[in-house]
Amino acid sequence: MTYMSFIKGELLTLLRRKQDTVNALVFFLMVVTLFPLGVSPSPDFLSVAAGGIIWCAASLAILMSVESMFKEDFNDGCLEQWLVSGLSLPLLILLKTFIHWLVVIAPLLVMAPLLSEMLFLPSETFSVLLITLILGTPALFLIGTIGAALTVSLRHGAVLMLLIIIPFYLPVIIFSTGAIRAAQNSMMYDGQIAILAAISLVFLVVSPVMSAISIKASIN
Amino acid sequence: MSWTWFHKLGSPKWFFQFASRWALASFWSGVVLLLVGVIWGLGFAPEDYQQGNSFRIIYIHVPAAILAQSCYLGLGIAGFVFLVWQMKMAPVFIKSVAPLGALAAVIALLSGAIWGKPTWGTWWVWDARLTSVLVLFLLYMGVIAIQNSLEDKVLADKAVAVISVVGLINLPIIKYSVEWWNTLHQPATFKLTEAPAMPIEMWLPLLISSLGLYLFIAGLAMLRMKTEVLNRERRSGWVKDEVLKSGV
Repeated sequence: MTYMSFIKGELLTLLRRKQDTVNALVFFLMVVTLFPLGVSPSPDFLSVAAGGIIWCAASLAILMSVESMFKEDFNDGCLEQWLVSGLSLPLLILLKTFIHWLVVIAPLLVMAPLLSEMLFLPSETFSVLLITLILGTPALFLIGTIGAALTVSLRHGAVLMLLIIIPFYLPVIIFSTGAIRAAQNSMMYDGQIAILAAISLVFLVVSPVMSAISIKASIN
Repeated sequence: MSWTWFHKLGSPKWFFQFASRWALASFWSGVVLLLVGVIWGLGFAPEDYQQGNSFRIIYIHVPAAILAQSCYLGLGIAGFVFLVWQMKMAPVFIKSVAPLGALAAVIALLSGAIWGKPTWGTWWVWDARLTSVLVLFLLYMGVIAIQNSLEDKVLADKAVAVISVVGLINLPIIKYSVEWWNTLHQPATFKLTEAPAMPIEMWLPLLISSLGLYLFIAGLAMLRMKTEVLNRERRSGWVKDEVLKSGV
């Protein structure tokens, strides 16, 4: 196994198991639908809440898609192969996270203009929504990877993983919705964007190492 | 400076003897200090010129809040120590202290709500302090949940260590995120107008009750850790000797 063959394998697996990605995206759409139905369909409320709604839905969809990230590899013994392959485990995890991010975030970005129109997001803040999604979601994936790695050996680890991971998602959600809100009030928002990027960078360093520790402990 | 004391703390047997000597002493001196501090604060400290008697809940609220944060700091450090040096006692510490920290966070939240009603006119606001303590409580519950859910004990130890360390990194981020989030769309109307400088009669009992709660929690933590050590080391010779010598 080389890094190249690893990347190719991961991409092929994702391509042949399209349903997982589709599920996450449909889930995203469903959560977004809950808010107008559950709270209020009025454009006044929705245009204020749109950024928050999209971010909450995206976080939940990402949690869902990340949760099972290592499950198959654990069950079919791939994780052991990674360990004995002589390649760097943190790097492999980072590559896998990156590929998953790419595969989920690309359609999510395509859906974003549709949803923001449905939620009456003011069109001048749409670009801010896109920037926060691009800069913030890597942090969500990287944090989620730690949770997925910790609970990989559990048969019903999903709830546990949600319990652990959601508190860590809060800062990302706060800063991204803060940036969108600031843009709506025509205030400066580059501070929030910078911090979002900083959080993603911190977890870019921490997450692969921590996930590797967890995976090693899970395989024993 | 010699580092042997530090390495000794990593040995379950030595820790057990250390805790046997100090746990009850720490616990009871904590109880005494807490009683002194709380009775002094509730009964004898002067009234606040703005809040009257309702400020007196500070003698419970502030110690609990300090402890909730200190315990998490301890958790994070122990997690780091375990991941780097694999010291056996670190996961024991995390397992024993996490519920105590969660309890301290709950006390801080509840007493804060009770304090908020007369002074702010509301039980709860989504204010920076309150929100970050709530998140702290959620982090504790995550640590406890993963400790209790993982059947494989070796994995559970690693997992709580990882979560504790990551939580430690996240703590300042959470703190600043909620502060910033708050200043953006909520003016600081609910900020407590503190008296310029507390007179000594007011902060001395606070200091005493905080110290008391530290000792109290330390004592409880040592007792819990002793139980945990006995459970984990039940196959080793010294536990057998201990049990034969002094009963169960």
